[in-house]
Amino acid sequence: MATIQNSYGPEYFRVIHPLDDVPEQKCTSEGLGPIAMTPTVRTSLTLLRAYLILMGAMLLYHVLDLAGVVHRIF
Amino acid sequence: MRLAETQLNAVVARTETAPLKGVSVRSSWQKHVLTFLMVFGPGLIVMEADNDAGAVSTYMQAGGQYGLHLLWTLIVLLPICYFVQEMVARLGIATGKGHAAMIYERFGKWWGRFSLFDLLLVNFLTLITEFAAISLALRALGVNPWISVPVSALGLTLLVVTGSYLRWERMVIALCLMDLTWFALAYVVHPDWTAVGRAIIIPAMPAGGITSSLIFLVIAIVGTTIAPWQLFFQQSCVAEKRLRFTDLKWARLDTLIGATFTVLVAGAMMLVGNYGYQHGITFEDPAQLAVAFGSLAGHFARNGVLLLMVNAAVLGTTAISLASAWAYGEVKGWEHSLHKKLWEAPGFYATYIACVGAAAAVVLIPHMPLQLVIISVQVFAGLILPSAIIFLQLLLNDHELLGDRWVNRPWNNYINWTIIVVLFALSLLLAAQVMLPNLFA
Repeated sequence: MATIQNSYGPEYFRVIHPLDDVPEQKCTSEGLGPIAMTPTVRTSLTLLRAYLILMGAMLLYHVLDLAGVVHRIF
Repeated sequence: MRLAETQLNAVVARTETAPLKGVSVRSSWQKHVLTFLMVFGPGLIVMEADNDAGAVSTYMQAGGQYGLHLLWTLIVLLPICYFVQEMVARLGIATGKGHAAMIYERFGKWWGRFSLFDLLLVNFLTLITEFAAISLALRALGVNPWISVPVSALGLTLLVVTGSYLRWERMVIALCLMDLTWFALAYVVHPDWTAVGRAIIIPAMPAGGITSSLIFLVIAIVGTTIAPWQLFFQQSCVAEKRLRFTDLKWARLDTLIGATFTVLVAGAMMLVGNYGYQHGITFEDPAQLAVAFGSLAGHFARNGVLLLMVNAAVLGTTAISLASAWAYGEVKGWEHSLHKKLWEAPGFYATYIACVGAAAAVVLIPHMPLQLVIISVQVFAGLILPSAIIFLQLLLNDHELLGDRWVNRPWNNYINWTIIVVLFALSLLLAAQVMLPNLFA
């Protein structure tokens, strides 16, 4: 989006569609490697693993329950 | 960027050799309006596509079982939707990449593969429910599923293979705007507008009090309003549209408009469901309610609900399939753009077509256990949503990647961590209710 002004004519604005505009230099992870293990990142990933294990255990129980294995054990 | 007179001469000289792209406008407000219109799209589409067939069913069930009592939940969900999707749009603009690619790059292959596999699985199962809704609604209108389902799948494929993102976007925005008809339907069923206003502002307890069925319907409303594929879709869509840093404010407005429109449409669906509640109509899916409408509210209401169900499923299918194709293409390093022709991005289009085609084929299998598919969607969504949203939040606190300009502000973090904790708890509760129903009996 450019603003074009000249002293002999009125100011006008040029509006360019994002797809037609010059590409920008975006934030890139090139050369950065994996995310830094800050305490927040470590805690979040640990909690996420715990959550997924819990969900996995529930899913396993549900499958065993549907298969009738749970009733045979208890 | 403001240009001096000498620079203007340079611009003029350049235009003599190459055509200057864009549109010239005289005033600042025209510039703002035009820029917004150029940026507008991904926010509306992601939000409105979220009002897919499953959402129509959930919102109408909410109205059908509890009348106007759950309308307030939508007001609570509006800011949640906005804050989550704003983060996605910001990350997409800052990096120019999709969510799946960012998870792979910053959290490694294990988390990347887990997220991708779970996303593809839950998306595919959701697509089956979309085609089941198309089949159900069009059957009620007298169209054989062996015709309606393949024709829909073909139409959904043709929608994306035009080689132009903008063409796809314009067609999908038109489909989104068809959802305005929900407001006409809500008007036709003559709700008590004073009671509606009261129910929106003041949460009131339904006659039976707090029951497990009520709690899980509320969780289902939250689950249907914030779906995992939305995070992947909007980020890839923003990257596909090549939104610039300066477009962020317009992308935010687009997201806010989309969230508001979606919540209003969801409210209209609840009002239509409430009509069934008032007339004692019991129904298991919206198609049944629509058929019962025929004798009570006329053919407009009946056919309107059925056709809007199809529209919701079509919107959901194109967005969800694209979320899968973009994510898979990004991770595989394939060309993954709607700007490309079919033969220029074969892997990307093959993924989209495979998702649509396989889901349509599964629906045509006789005695397909749809209930099992719906339960699986809830379980796998419970796995992917919390993880995708955690990665999103961590990426938006990644100073190394984003610098100070794009990372979350402290107030962003307070709000987003609260949303994440609530979503974790609700996802866990919903999955527990599905997998361990005896716990809640």
